[in-house]
Amino acid sequence: MTPLLEAKHVTKRYGTNTALSDLSMSIDTSKPAITAVVGESGSGKTTLARMILGLVPPSEGQVLYQGQDMARLSGAQRREFRRDIQAVFQDPYEVYNPFYRVDHVLTTPVRNFNLASSRAEGRTMIENALRAVGLRPEEILGRYPHQLSGGQRQRIMVARAVLMKPKLIVADEPVSMVDASLRATILTSLRKLTDEMGISIIYITHDLATAYQVSDNILVMYRACVAEAGAVERVVKHPQHPYTQLLISSIPQVSTTRDWLDDEGDQKTAATPSPHGCRFVERCPVAMPKCSTTLPPLYRTEPARAAACFQHEASPELPNGTLNEVLTPAPS
Amino acid sequence: MNAILKVEGLKVEFEHPLGAVKAVDDVSFALLPGERLGLAGESGSGKSTMALSILRMIKPPGRITGGRVSLDGIELSALDHEGIRRLRLAGIAMVPQGSMNSLNPFIRIKAQFADAFRDHGLKLTSAELETRVAELLRTVGLPPHVANLYPHELSGGMKQRACIAIAICLRPKVIIADEPTSALDVVVQRQVMETLARVQRDLGCAIILVGHDMGLMAQFVDRLGVMYAGRLVELAPIAEIITRPRHPYTQALISSLPSLEKRGAMQGIPGLAPLLRDLPPGCAFHPRCPQAQARCHTEKPAVREVAPNQQAACHFA
Repeated sequence: MTPLLEAKHVTKRYGTNTALSDLSMSIDTSKPAITAVVGESGSGKTTLARMILGLVPPSEGQVLYQGQDMARLSGAQRREFRRDIQAVFQDPYEVYNPFYRVDHVLTTPVRNFNLASSRAEGRTMIENALRAVGLRPEEILGRYPHQLSGGQRQRIMVARAVLMKPKLIVADEPVSMVDASLRATILTSLRKLTDEMGISIIYITHDLATAYQVSDNILVMYRACVAEAGAVERVVKHPQHPYTQLLISSIPQVSTTRDWLDDEGDQKTAATPSPHGCRFVERCPVAMPKCSTTLPPLYRTEPARAAACFQHEASPELPNGTLNEVLTPAPS
Repeated sequence: MNAILKVEGLKVEFEHPLGAVKAVDDVSFALLPGERLGLAGESGSGKSTMALSILRMIKPPGRITGGRVSLDGIELSALDHEGIRRLRLAGIAMVPQGSMNSLNPFIRIKAQFADAFRDHGLKLTSAELETRVAELLRTVGLPPHVANLYPHELSGGMKQRACIAIAICLRPKVIIADEPTSALDVVVQRQVMETLARVQRDLGCAIILVGHDMGLMAQFVDRLGVMYAGRLVELAPIAEIITRPRHPYTQALISSLPSLEKRGAMQGIPGLAPLLRDLPPGCAFHPRCPQAQARCHTEKPAVREVAPNQQAACHFA
């Protein structure tokens, strides 16, 4: 079956800067799952999201929608693409026009895509979408954006995405601007969309802890490359790439064991980076001479996991373009 | 031990057409020399207003309507405008939220230090300034050439460290850090917090850390105060807060943090933080509280000592 979306050897350059380097993956919506893409700023995670959404074209390689190059979609296909794939962005303040009631962001797609045959049907659809994300329609409709909290506004954006009955939602840092106490609620409603409505989700974040809580698979990105990928439980519990290990040990935990500050943490090593070597070599505590000269490929260390580090050289290489083999669908 | 900073019955109100809004409602605590105290709570709980009011930096329509703040025995409300200006930075320094916005983008890092020294009447020759700045930058782990850079030439973590260096340049007794790492990624966050911990030890000053990340609090502070709807609803040593939180809101804040141990353990706090101008009667937390009883709907719980060194404002703590 043709996957909904497929990235084939995509690279994105901005001037001399490579934002994303030779990534291949596909999204097969017959097996819905939440895939988290985690990394620091500049790791390429947002570039990946923008390319999947068709907002930026790749510098090299192709993004295919139902087998068709995204750059060559017909008008009808483009329209279908705009329904199948929905976005939720980071800032729940900037996406609203303060002069319109929040209903506007919900009624506009219903009208533009002829989702409902009557006004009443449209209204019912909107109310159902709001309930699907845990909001009470009577508390939301008719209000202006400033009358609602950041968490409510962000859930309306998720409801708007749900309204389109999409196959895939790309959520780029959907909870980084809302309070810690509300993050759980929003992420739980995303999880429900996958489990109950079969919508696949790409969850872009810098927060490994929420990624662990909500997703099935994880891609850890570091400076335009995939450092580690696989089933979230294994990657978080037993990280195999030194960068993933550093990320996990950097998260302060609620615990009476206070070792967070004493940890040596991020140390610069003597290794000199080269454009051909491993991107992480300058910060790597276990760097070997060859790391400075050769870029490590992904090694398949377990059935559902791969890490791009020469420490795992004994494992078979994961051929470029087969990243999906280590990603698993959500348990049903 | 005598407190270095004492806050007693502090009240801050904001004028509003529908009546005054109490952003800080009768908050008291004492900060010991060298202590690290955390102030946690959701947005709108009053924690940042609290921090600003200690330095008397509340702007209209907000104003301090009651209570006393004293530093090392000196009553701050008795100071005139000039006195309070001299006290800021030299006595109590602030590391603001979003370091990228708090540095002047038009002048070099060195000049931002020069501003601070000049404003506090220190006349330094350019050679002296050079040495002092290099020394301060070294303390926060930045190379000396940073002095000659503009803020936009620094990364987020470097800017936050530069802000810490400015905060300690007059050796204050208290540093107030308002979400100093909220804009940084986790790896850089730990480096910045390590820097803050080190300069605090070297200087022997006390720190108030304002934030909502309970993980960060658990790893950094000695004692934690939890704010809800303008009130300090719990104050206790951090180990007590983690192992035995007395207030249901503290418990909820801890549970809302995503764990790396167990999946599916993250729970949001039901409902929304109340509007300060329209607080529910009784305990402000009762509409969201899983343990609320009839009494909580009518009777506002007072802050009381529930164990030695541990206070909470809950009928059932």
